[in-house]
Amino acid sequence: MSTPNIFTPGRYHESVWQVLMLPFSIVRNLTLDTLRNARQMNTEPMALATGLDFPTVHRRTLFAIRCSLAATVMNIALIGDSSLADDLAALAPPSPPPSVLKAEADRIQAIAKASRSTVGVFGLDGQGGGSGVVISPDGYVLTNYHVSDPFGNRMRIGLSNGEMHEAVIVGIDPTGDLALLKMEGRNDFPAATIIDSDTVRVGQWCFASGNPFVLATNLQPTTTWGIVSGVHRYQYPSGTILEYTDCIQTDAAINPGNSGGPLYNWNGDLIGINGRGSFEKRGRVNVGVGYAISINQAMLFLGHLKSGRVVDHATLGFTVASDEKGRVIVSNILESSDAYRRGLRYGDEVLALDGRDVTSVNQLKNILGIFPSWTRLKLRFKNAEGTVDTYVRLGSLHTVAELDEIITGKPLDGPPTPDGKPPEKKKPDNKKPDDKKSDDKDTPNDSDAEESIGEQSKPNELVDSMKDLFEARRGFGNYYFNRREIDRITSAREIQSGSLAPSEARWPKELKWEWSGSVAGESTQFQFTSQANQLSLTLGSDTSVIDPVRGWANIIDTQGLSGPALAIELWQRWNSVGPRAMGECTYIGTAPVIGLETWQDLTQVTTGEVESFFYTSPETKKIVLIEIQSDSRQDRLEVYFDDYETTLIDGLKSPSGEALSKPIPKRIRSSYGLTTPMVIDFKRLNVSQETGTK
Amino acid sequence: MNSLTWFDFKRLSLVITFVLVDLSAKAFADTPENVGDPKLVRTSKEVGFGDPLVSLLAQVQPKMVKIYGAGGMRGLESYQSGFLISDEGHIATSWSTVLDSTKVRVILSDGLKTDAELVGIDPQTEIAVLKIQEPTKSYFELNATSLPSPGDRVFGLSNLFGIATGDESVSAQRGVVMAIAPLSAKRGRMKTLYQGRVLVLDVMTNNPGATGGAIIDLEGRLVGMLGKELRDDQSNMWLNYALPMDVVTGTVRRILEGKTNSATQTDKLVPSKRPHRATSLGFNLLPDVLAKTPPFVDQVTSKSIAQRSGLQPNDLILLLNEQRVDSRRAFEELLATIDRADSFSLLVQRGQELVRIDFRP
Repeated sequence: MSTPNIFTPGRYHESVWQVLMLPFSIVRNLTLDTLRNARQMNTEPMALATGLDFPTVHRRTLFAIRCSLAATVMNIALIGDSSLADDLAALAPPSPPPSVLKAEADRIQAIAKASRSTVGVFGLDGQGGGSGVVISPDGYVLTNYHVSDPFGNRMRIGLSNGEMHEAVIVGIDPTGDLALLKMEGRNDFPAATIIDSDTVRVGQWCFASGNPFVLATNLQPTTTWGIVSGVHRYQYPSGTILEYTDCIQTDAAINPGNSGGPLYNWNGDLIGINGRGSFEKRGRVNVGVGYAISINQAMLFLGHLKSGRVVDHATLGFTVASDEKGRVIVSNILESSDAYRRGLRYGDEVLALDGRDVTSVNQLKNILGIFPSWTRLKLRFKNAEGTVDTYVRLGSLHTVAELDEIITGKPLDGPPTPDGKPPEKKKPDNKKPDDKKSDDKDTPNDSDAEESIGEQSKPNELVDSMKDLFEARRGFGNYYFNRREIDRITSAREIQSGSLAPSEARWPKELKWEWSGSVAGESTQFQFTSQANQLSLTLGSDTSVIDPVRGWANIIDTQGLSGPALAIELWQRWNSVGPRAMGECTYIGTAPVIGLETWQDLTQVTTGEVESFFYTSPETKKIVLIEIQSDSRQDRLEVYFDDYETTLIDGLKSPSGEALSKPIPKRIRSSYGLTTPMVIDFKRLNVSQETGTK
Repeated sequence: MNSLTWFDFKRLSLVITFVLVDLSAKAFADTPENVGDPKLVRTSKEVGFGDPLVSLLAQVQPKMVKIYGAGGMRGLESYQSGFLISDEGHIATSWSTVLDSTKVRVILSDGLKTDAELVGIDPQTEIAVLKIQEPTKSYFELNATSLPSPGDRVFGLSNLFGIATGDESVSAQRGVVMAIAPLSAKRGRMKTLYQGRVLVLDVMTNNPGATGGAIIDLEGRLVGMLGKELRDDQSNMWLNYALPMDVVTGTVRRILEGKTNSATQTDKLVPSKRPHRATSLGFNLLPDVLAKTPPFVDQVTSKSIAQRSGLQPNDLILLLNEQRVDSRRAFEELLATIDRADSFSLLVQRGQELVRIDFRP
């Protein structure tokens, strides 16, 4: 190994600051190290000495380095041989053991790998600056909301190789302090390796990467090394709405400008997004306590962020308090909450949420805080009768109006200010262009910071390349990305280009559908016919006609038996005309479905009197669950389509006239809430393309 | 220049070189003899790129406790850190205002909440020993010879900023012992009673609530107790330091043997028939307005016994005959047990100094 530059990130003296703060003893070793390197490289030592020109100088230390170097150089020059240098080198420690060098090499490699994914986030004019991290090769970047917020909806992203890219805001999570940005034009952006942050343990080495104090003008990230000081930390909201739940605490220096940047483990794998420190009387600089949002939380929110919405955190609909024995007891519960409908009452003991034991109030907040609203979680509680295992739907923590207030900054605000003061957007980590050079100075807001999220940025020729990628709408960070996600889940692009196989393509419009089957475990027949505006359901001996729009709310409210027919009708519409033709439709994000390990894409469609929620598989694009809701205070109808079979469909012909096979549900499970489902087995599906014919 | 020969010049520059190199070596810290020594430099495996460090820190967690007491006002935390030192529930911690409470609450690493009694304090080293009723399996062995060398890797464990609650683990930080030096070197610039030798750390351990925390080495041995927050008045720099084990061990032993200043023991007091009174000795204390008014000297009558003994206004009385007096009432009760004919001694805090005052009637 050739002698590496002693200031390679990850080598012994990890950062300039640490070098400057080293005691003289180590400076001496450093000096000797430099001399040794000089000898090995046969280089003029003075050149090396003058190479130690730091941007900011600890005067005494540098003086010492320079004096000893200069004096040594003088001696070598004057005496004419290097025996003195040899003597000095003899004082220096022998080479470290190979294992140490190996560790150092590993560290250098991890930092080099991780640094490629670390980015700087700047305003359109290239000014200001926070940090961020590339999380996908197609250019998604995570940062803090409080970093992206002052820049509006467009910004620039500097990769560590010096490239500058345009970026547009996608989705924001003001409560969780996350923002998702998107760069375009490449499919090989240097994405970080993401690992399960629940595997992180106290004592593991880790490092923060980013642009503290906007030091790096060449976009090379600064690395600060440390250990994980605590995991599953809960940090109270302090003066703002923002709370950090289940976060990672580290003693790696987190300073202003590190915000939004990655926290990596020792191997250079992404474990968190740095965003907050415990700052009190010592000013806004590192005091050995920094917090990172766990990457698991960020990943749980990723689907929501990709929807382009202003995403929200969740509430359980009840509050808890710990009693004298340390048990977590329900202290208040909304009768309209899903938990109440599942049987939870005042005074019950909460045992576990999402499979994690609840040992304290903080722990419950920790578990809850990492999930977006719209999520349904496992809940275990204990009442007088015994232990109950069930699922509860999480509600939204804020109303749309409250979120609006948060993102416009009045009167609530987003950025974390652990000192409890109202946040000032001009703090060093999200500086405005005009105070770039005054790191420690707070200046009053300028109009830029007041810019509302929906406004277009100032005209700029570089921006025009992305102008089609932004669409303002209330409740959205960028509505454009919502449309893009709906295109993805409905394979709209593939349909447009005709690249889909006929079996995967949409069903023809204006079909007459005839489903026949029976209720499992009973001899009750189930026949559903749907044609244009005529819906007819025969259940056993009863036949009823269903209006295509009206009366649906009544069926859901009364938990009517014809509910499954509504879901089948929605399934048909989704698969023939598509969600956009069904009503107002919004892609929500990803959400769990009972019985499935991976989260599914969730789309909300307003269909007449009711709200419908479509859960579709990200891989196969098939509908796995349709929920219909009439009143948010009541249970939804849930119809699971979890048994598809590709079947030759009578009456359906491909354009070339051949009979077509398509995946259709063989069995559906239908229930209101978590009641015992009605299971319907389908025996046959007939379709006819000419309306009115049998 | 003519008088300086070539040889002289060479010799002079040699001297300069050695002086400079030597200065840089000795100015702050003694250099470890051999940085390549395996005891000092750990390999990646040992230091814990993987699990050893994780298990090391997990292993010492049960020895750490969170302490809650008086405070809660701005700039005065109501919490601090401590660690178990015996299987009988003894806890070593820092003597601070947090302990000036009728009820000091301790939370063990498993979340168990329990009340602690104050066994004793030492104002000189600012160390206190608490005791809880519960027996404890995990505790640190105190070893006076566990002295790290400058350059040694250490870890700080404390509940700084009160981040951990209940059964959550206290925070861990990593650092290096930069120097071992007396705090008295900074006398006058740092507000501290303790003036002795400390481990100076390169990591920001001494934050609110960290005082009383543990410093451990790579073997998990206790090598120091985290001190208080300390700021240099002139440079605004915060010093991160820990008390070395010889000081901690000695103090704890003295407290446990009852040789040093014990805690307030009001229940054993037998009033004397002809007791001392503050006024007849020539001093007044601040009026008793709080539940625990600190025994501050308000006035000292000129030419009185008090003045002759050296007592001054604004002195804070810490000990009376080696007994802790944490309030004006406690002081008066204790003083009332001493016969007028007997001498007694006070330990008072005057600014940043501790002063012993002997009263000989």
